[in-house]
Amino acid sequence: MKSKAIRNVLTTVGLPVLFGVIIFTLWQTKVLHALFGTDEIILPLPTRIGSIISDNFTSMLPQITSTLIVALGGLVLGSILGYFIGVAGAVFKKWGMAGLTIVPASNAIPLVALAPVINNWTRNLSGVVDIRSTVAKIITVTIFCTASMSVNAYRGLTEVKPFSEDLFASYGSSKLRMFFKLRLPNSLPYVFTALRVSVPSCVIGAVVSEYFAEQVIGVGRQIRENIVKGQFPTAWAYIAIACAMGILMYVILLIVESIVLKNRRAR
Amino acid sequence: MKNKRILAALLAASCLTAAFTACSSESTSSTSSTASTAGSEASGSADASTESSESAGLMSDEEIIKKASSENKVGNWGLGNEYEIQALLSKYGLPTDYITMDFTMDQIDQDTITLASAMTYNELGLIKNSYDGGYGYGDEIGIIDMNDEGVAMLEDMLFCTKAFAEANPNTVKAFTTASMKGWVYACEHPDEAAEIVFKYGSSVSADHQKYMASEVAKLVTTDTKGNSVPAANVGQMDDEAIQQTLDLAKQYIKIDDAAAAEKLQALTLDDIRSKDYLTYDGGAVEKADLKIQLKWLPQSQFMGYYVALDKGYYTEVGLNVEIVSGGGDVSETVAVNNGTVDFGVTWVSNLINANAGGMELVEVAQVYQRSGLVLCYKKSQFTK
Repeated sequence: MKSKAIRNVLTTVGLPVLFGVIIFTLWQTKVLHALFGTDEIILPLPTRIGSIISDNFTSMLPQITSTLIVALGGLVLGSILGYFIGVAGAVFKKWGMAGLTIVPASNAIPLVALAPVINNWTRNLSGVVDIRSTVAKIITVTIFCTASMSVNAYRGLTEVKPFSEDLFASYGSSKLRMFFKLRLPNSLPYVFTALRVSVPSCVIGAVVSEYFAEQVIGVGRQIRENIVKGQFPTAWAYIAIACAMGILMYVILLIVESIVLKNRRAR
Repeated sequence: MKNKRILAALLAASCLTAAFTACSSESTSSTSSTASTAGSEASGSADASTESSESAGLMSDEEIIKKASSENKVGNWGLGNEYEIQALLSKYGLPTDYITMDFTMDQIDQDTITLASAMTYNELGLIKNSYDGGYGYGDEIGIIDMNDEGVAMLEDMLFCTKAFAEANPNTVKAFTTASMKGWVYACEHPDEAAEIVFKYGSSVSADHQKYMASEVAKLVTTDTKGNSVPAANVGQMDDEAIQQTLDLAKQYIKIDDAAAAEKLQALTLDDIRSKDYLTYDGGAVEKADLKIQLKWLPQSQFMGYYVALDKGYYTEVGLNVEIVSGGGDVSETVAVNNGTVDFGVTWVSNLINANAGGMELVEVAQVYQRSGLVLCYKKSQFTK
């Protein structure tokens, strides 16, 4: 039993780490540069990127916080909104599935097109640029995070085992009771499936929304500014930070998921 | 009961679709307003507004800058276009924060920005002129000129890599002189130059190309102090002006990378420009097929190169030139550095930034002799 668990950890943690180490070595020894025909200006060495992060971490913190607020704000709002859309779809079955196809369609609008439109839309919201710009960015991420949650929530709420539905029906349970006792718990694993998609994408959404924001702040904004200005090592430092944020949030999600769904796993 | 539910559902669905169509239509309308920067006939030229800044009731330039800054309503595009604005704000002891402008003038139109950055040849025409897509403010718009404020940084110039220039000196000389010949002709015949640009694929209307050509000609033939530049000196480098650009760049380019920051501070004029390629004595060109990367979409901002191409100035010296337009986040310094193209057009500050970051680029001709950047404002926002 124990050896199996250890083997599990080795494969789930060890393999990705091994892969990372290989990439890191190839990168640091410039094999990657030869492979992609690029130079150290465009693709700086990991040690250089690392030193930029460690040198400037305190000045980078406000940028990171700003991006984190936008990403998490959008993730929470988008997930709640998505879940409610899923609930609405499950309750109004007649149009549920058809209505739900509209929501993913919103994801087909490229963020690049969406962000300036939302900037325009929120322009009269507040005289303070920091507030209206943050709201605009959060709305962008919200839209980005809604779709996967709504579709998954709908599936979780509707795809219940037929016998359990029959059981509830045979006990003469009300629809409301069936919803709270059966459908809602059944949707929980689906919620986590949705989050596995939206957690990394909320960071991407936040980064892209910053490209077009009125406010000159955020990890994404720094990536764009530095690339256009030809400061690739600094741009890569922020890219690394964006990756780390996404990975960290994903790891936290996995831990939360394993705790919440502990009893279900055993089955 | 069931009918009611369906009705509600339909209502919600139609609201959703309405919202999305509204979004998409809004986005198309905003892009079209950028594209249609048409200027009928340069109604109200750039200089007209400076005189009226002393008219009764209007604040002084300093008061305007201070008021806009205190309200956090100074706009710029960022991405390396912000240094002159930051230098100006610092000059008056103000924080160097600014709001990001999109590539329209909607923000000043709607007063979310009261002091907006504008290029004399582009956005200024857009906000002043009244035509399809323009904002038509005319003389209601006042301007603050970076040259007058002493914070001018030089903009459009021609560059290549040091290695390319050293390996192909005759090519660089031939290309530079042919290009400057094109610029001289374009500045003498701006209307014709605008038509040539329009023919080669224009991002803006024919009318706006003409407005732009006439304004660009002023930047090429006038220096930062307002003296006129004779045709023979087009493309020459005024060391004093480039030094000022370098000094301001060292002050306002913020680099997190310690190695690059150190390199920036160590840069001298000789690291960023060379005067060796301004005259061509007819030596055989080492490379005949050349590409030049523009900083932005095809427009009169680059008319000299289009004129040189159209009039055959490049073929006269044995060159076969292809003009590659830029736009968006295309980085001309990267394109030149990695050899995708041979020459590029960029601002001096961008080259300084790139060289600090480790590239080895060199300016070979300074086309714009004065800064084309101004801050513009609605006079009604700044009355006493």
